[in-house]
Amino acid sequence: MDFSYSQEQRMLADSLRRLMTENWTFAQRRARQKSQRLDQQAWQSLSELGVAGLMVPEAFGGFGETPATMLAVHQELGRGLVSEPVIASAVMAVTLLGKSANDGLKAKWLDLHAQGEAILTIAWQESGERYSIRSLCTHAMRSEDEYVLDGRKTLVWHGAAAQALIVSALLDGEMALFMVERSAHGVSMTDYPTFDGGRAATISFDGVAVQGDQLIAKGREAEELMTLALDFGITALCAQACGAMEYLTETTIQYLKTRKQFGQPLANFQALQHRMGDMLIQQEMALSMTYVAAMGLAETNSAERSRLVSMTKVEVAAAARIVGETAVQLHGGMGVTDELEVGDYFKRLTFTDLLLGDTNYHLQRMQDVAA
Amino acid sequence: MDLTWTPDELAFRDEVRNFVQMNLPADLREKTFAHQRMKREDYVRWHQILAKKGWGAPTWAKEYGGTGWSTLQRLIFEIETFKGGAPRLIPFGLSMIGPVLMKFGTKAQKDYYLPRIITLEDWWCQGYSEPGSGSDLASLKTRAEIVGDEFVINGQKTWTTLAHHAHHMFCLVRTDPDAKAQRGISMVLIDMRQPGVTVRPIKTLDGSAEVNEVWLENVKAPVANLVGELNAGWTIAKYLLGHERTGIAGLGHCHRELAILKSLAERTMAGSESLSLDIRVRDNINRIEAQVRALEMLLLRVAADSSAEPGPKASILKIRGSEIQQDLARLQMQVVGADSWPYDPEWMFAESAYYGPSPAFSAAASAGYFDMRKTSIYGGTNEVQKGIIAKHIIGV
Repeated sequence: MDFSYSQEQRMLADSLRRLMTENWTFAQRRARQKSQRLDQQAWQSLSELGVAGLMVPEAFGGFGETPATMLAVHQELGRGLVSEPVIASAVMAVTLLGKSANDGLKAKWLDLHAQGEAILTIAWQESGERYSIRSLCTHAMRSEDEYVLDGRKTLVWHGAAAQALIVSALLDGEMALFMVERSAHGVSMTDYPTFDGGRAATISFDGVAVQGDQLIAKGREAEELMTLALDFGITALCAQACGAMEYLTETTIQYLKTRKQFGQPLANFQALQHRMGDMLIQQEMALSMTYVAAMGLAETNSAERSRLVSMTKVEVAAAARIVGETAVQLHGGMGVTDELEVGDYFKRLTFTDLLLGDTNYHLQRMQDVAA
Repeated sequence: MDLTWTPDELAFRDEVRNFVQMNLPADLREKTFAHQRMKREDYVRWHQILAKKGWGAPTWAKEYGGTGWSTLQRLIFEIETFKGGAPRLIPFGLSMIGPVLMKFGTKAQKDYYLPRIITLEDWWCQGYSEPGSGSDLASLKTRAEIVGDEFVINGQKTWTTLAHHAHHMFCLVRTDPDAKAQRGISMVLIDMRQPGVTVRPIKTLDGSAEVNEVWLENVKAPVANLVGELNAGWTIAKYLLGHERTGIAGLGHCHRELAILKSLAERTMAGSESLSLDIRVRDNINRIEAQVRALEMLLLRVAADSSAEPGPKASILKIRGSEIQQDLARLQMQVVGADSWPYDPEWMFAESAYYGPSPAFSAAASAGYFDMRKTSIYGGTNEVQKGIIAKHIIGV
């Protein structure tokens, strides 16, 4: 084990830090949110540094990077509060497709993705099913050499920005995963803003015809791919939360050193010093926990992998809440306004628990996979 | 000690409950339970319904047009109206400047202002915090100079809740710049409808704009609008904050939000079952219910103990009340789950179309969580409250 970055990792992290400082400022992020759609230039600038191809296997034009590098990259993206579809597309969809056996789809999409020219997302959640990946109302029927999809997916992360969707559906009583182009006949979408300044969508499939070769996987293999994609997504989400916590703690300390009340900087008050200490403790524990998840991603035993990822999700979500809430509290009235970036970081940290399975879901999953 | 409700108290509870059921307009009730934003007219409508019944000032003595209720009755009233889905009573007149005028005001001030508060004919706002004076309120810089028979006021106030609706502001101003911090402060009543008053909304985390910055440039107020004595404003300010802190426990709010939390858990589906059957969710709901009950009893004890003026124990109420309100909002968000992630501030208005992914009843859960962060900051941060406990109760 070696905790120091390799030369390549150091260069990548440094370049990303610079990119974030220059192009993901508070004002720039807000302007992109307002436009309500993906800023292609921003996406290109991430791609140029290798973000889009990071997890794409080398055979398909990517870098085939390790979970450790993924962690380092997402920590930087979290510091910059990137809300472009990196986790949804470059981590989750790419991992799912990259580990599948459908070489035709891999050849078609992965190379494009590595070049920053394709955005994909997974549509797996359904209304009233909480975080379950297996309860599916969306279903597929075989009809000669194609499938016909009917159903509805909710909370599809960056659904409106994606060219193609990986859709889970019930086929012959088991889970199947299909690649569906967003422009396909019968696909309709309601796009909405999310509280962190991102976008998600509810997508309906009404008799959508899908060619037979667009089936990515079915049965146990489909479930395993879906779980693997989630586990990678969760680890990236936690790494981003760690980066966001780090930045938020720095900003908060800076604020308390500057803001004066009772004739002295707020940072002089012991009660507030302890709160800053608490933030640092949480941040360090969360990062260490995320290392555990990244280590777990290499596990060949998928149950053990999922267990490590779930425990990380639970702990990092708790840390993210403490750090976010404390940062707001220590900023006082200014912390609850929409006028400082502390609020944006707090909101982003809040979704660490809500997305990709909440604390209750992951506590249960730890129990289930251990059994 | 007798820990039972008397038949009179129970009868009073039923009377209030029935009154709310019969007289609260249905659209207001719906807005409350859907967490939709109230408009100015909505508040006025409810205030006037209560005023007509003679309940417009539940916490005031009869001589001022109040109900003359006991502290217990007031509390029952607060809980029952909140639980029934009524809008909150606007506190700036009823709980803040009203009691201050009763104690420190002139006869003319009482005669003119108090009746107009009961009907919400006058909407008040609180001119306390300034950009450089938050927790350290006594460092405030807004200046008032006496020119002839008028105060001329210059300065800037902030976090002024609902100032955009207000006719008047009770304002802390510095009247003696040479005196030590607390000693040169006075309280002056300012008419907001005059040139030189500029109100700018501050957008908060949930996308709403209930608080404002207020600029005062050569704003005038007759010297008769001084409350109490010149340069004695700090004592009055503290008296008012003590009053604010009992109300700030938000007990009625807690009871209502607990009911909403339970209802959300019942109506949210996790596959074929209601989420309220999930043991992890149930544990959390049961625990927060216990805390609300403890808060209620604490409030009763504090109210009974300090019949005239709420003592420093009000700080305990403020701290726990705000924390419980925050936890309730967080639990609501967690119950709604990932469906609380989509959010458009427009969804908070009854008139706007909702197009989110979940049933509309759960649309505002994350906004509530973000908004409730203010409760441990306003009315004196919880850190300041702990300082008060240390100083005045523990004596260190």
